[in-house]
Amino acid sequence: MREKIDQEVSVVSYYSAKKKQTVPYHLHWQNKDYALGPVSYYHSYMEGQDKQHIFELVDKENTLWFRLRLDSGNLHWTLEAIHDGLAT
Amino acid sequence: MDLQLNDAPPLIMHIDLNSCYAIIEQQANPLIRNKPVGVAAYTSPGGFIIASSYEAKRQGIKLMRIRDARAIDKDIIILPPDPEKYFDAHRRFSEVLHRYTSEVVPKSIDEFVVDFKGSQAVRSGRSLTSVGRSIKRDIRASLGEYVTVNIGIGPNRFLAKIAAGLHKPDGMDVIRGSDIRKIYSQLELIDLPGINYRYKGRLNLAGIFTPLEFLAAPMHKLKGEVFKSIVGYYWYLRLRGYEVDAARFGIHSFGNDYAVGDKTDDPEQVARLLMKLSEKTGRRLRKHDYQAQGVFIGLGFENNTWWGKSKRSKILLYSTQDIYLHIVRLMRGFTFPARVTHISVAVFDVRPALPVQLGLFDGTRLDTRSLAEASDKINDRYGEFTVVPAAMANMQDVIIKRVPFGSVRDL
Repeated sequence: MREKIDQEVSVVSYYSAKKKQTVPYHLHWQNKDYALGPVSYYHSYMEGQDKQHIFELVDKENTLWFRLRLDSGNLHWTLEAIHDGLAT
Repeated sequence: MDLQLNDAPPLIMHIDLNSCYAIIEQQANPLIRNKPVGVAAYTSPGGFIIASSYEAKRQGIKLMRIRDARAIDKDIIILPPDPEKYFDAHRRFSEVLHRYTSEVVPKSIDEFVVDFKGSQAVRSGRSLTSVGRSIKRDIRASLGEYVTVNIGIGPNRFLAKIAAGLHKPDGMDVIRGSDIRKIYSQLELIDLPGINYRYKGRLNLAGIFTPLEFLAAPMHKLKGEVFKSIVGYYWYLRLRGYEVDAARFGIHSFGNDYAVGDKTDDPEQVARLLMKLSEKTGRRLRKHDYQAQGVFIGLGFENNTWWGKSKRSKILLYSTQDIYLHIVRLMRGFTFPARVTHISVAVFDVRPALPVQLGLFDGTRLDTRSLAEASDKINDRYGEFTVVPAAMANMQDVIIKRVPFGSVRDL
């Protein structure tokens, strides 16, 4: 089921000059490391003057979905929600 | 007059995203693909599903309460709506279509009409089915590999929309003038876009029970007997494939509705909700640089009754405070018959906001306007509801942004 988290997390990301995209590829949360798969959906919106970048993706083992937010104002990463793909 | 079926080349394309909100959620989360998914405004058992995936629809789960959906399939995955993501999908969808022609009209957040008359694609002799296949590919490339669209092509918007609904999901159909009778023979009256149960009743009273009988009805019967207005003439043309739905209408009103989560008959709580709805309505009014000269308030109650009142105002409304004060005046003397479940606030008779002509004895009118503009600037810079009227204190999580049905003018 989907669970709201809203915690700042450690993320390693890279920028691909070829694709002109920034992509998170490693997440550390609750003493656990997750190798992240490709971004399934990316979008952004403005919160005041700061752009919020939302990355939705699953880990490479296909066990957990993450919704990560990068705040362009302070460059902090927040894990907003997770989902295990089940109803309950 | 016996008007023939329109045999002009079908150059109108209707495109809609399949199960829009649900499929975008499935695109964003591969773990819920090929599973029954419902997007609901509230995820509690009484919450209402506003969009369901094809896997859910196949089981009969469409617009219904979550508890009823769970009775059909206990494993249905329920998600809250994500308006910003759907707005983003709408913008990407629009951007793809604009690669083909500038004649792109959004009909709602998940459907567009594209007029290919005179377009480069048509002039170069390319068929619209070939263009349609390209659009499907481009939409997958832009929104994601799981996103599919229905495409309908016809000589007018009406037939193009019917065509788009023939083979869901991921379908593409063309209706030409010569196909109209065959297509109508496969449909019910209620399947026709624009025919609701009230119109169906009117048609039935006039002895019209099928789309083919509707098509065969003479114009004077539709105009004089069934619809009793010019609407009958429009239907006569529309059914034959002639365009009558291309008009673009201006903005007449701005409004916000709210289904009250914690039903209440506490006047103070209702007043706070009204203030927040007034602020949202006022923000939209000012964002479009409009002012209004009328307000409407509607309240729904737990006992299934409804109360509403509207009034033209003497002054031009611009600030949140003005809107709120006029609503409070409308409600003066009214007592709630039961707990409030729905609230609607709207301003109407809107027109572009012109520079204010200062009067010598205007009192505080300009102050209110300046205050609204100043607080809008702060909210633009630091985020929505950073500065709010005192009555809205601590209401950040109440009346959050919702997905719009129909109008897309705020996207």
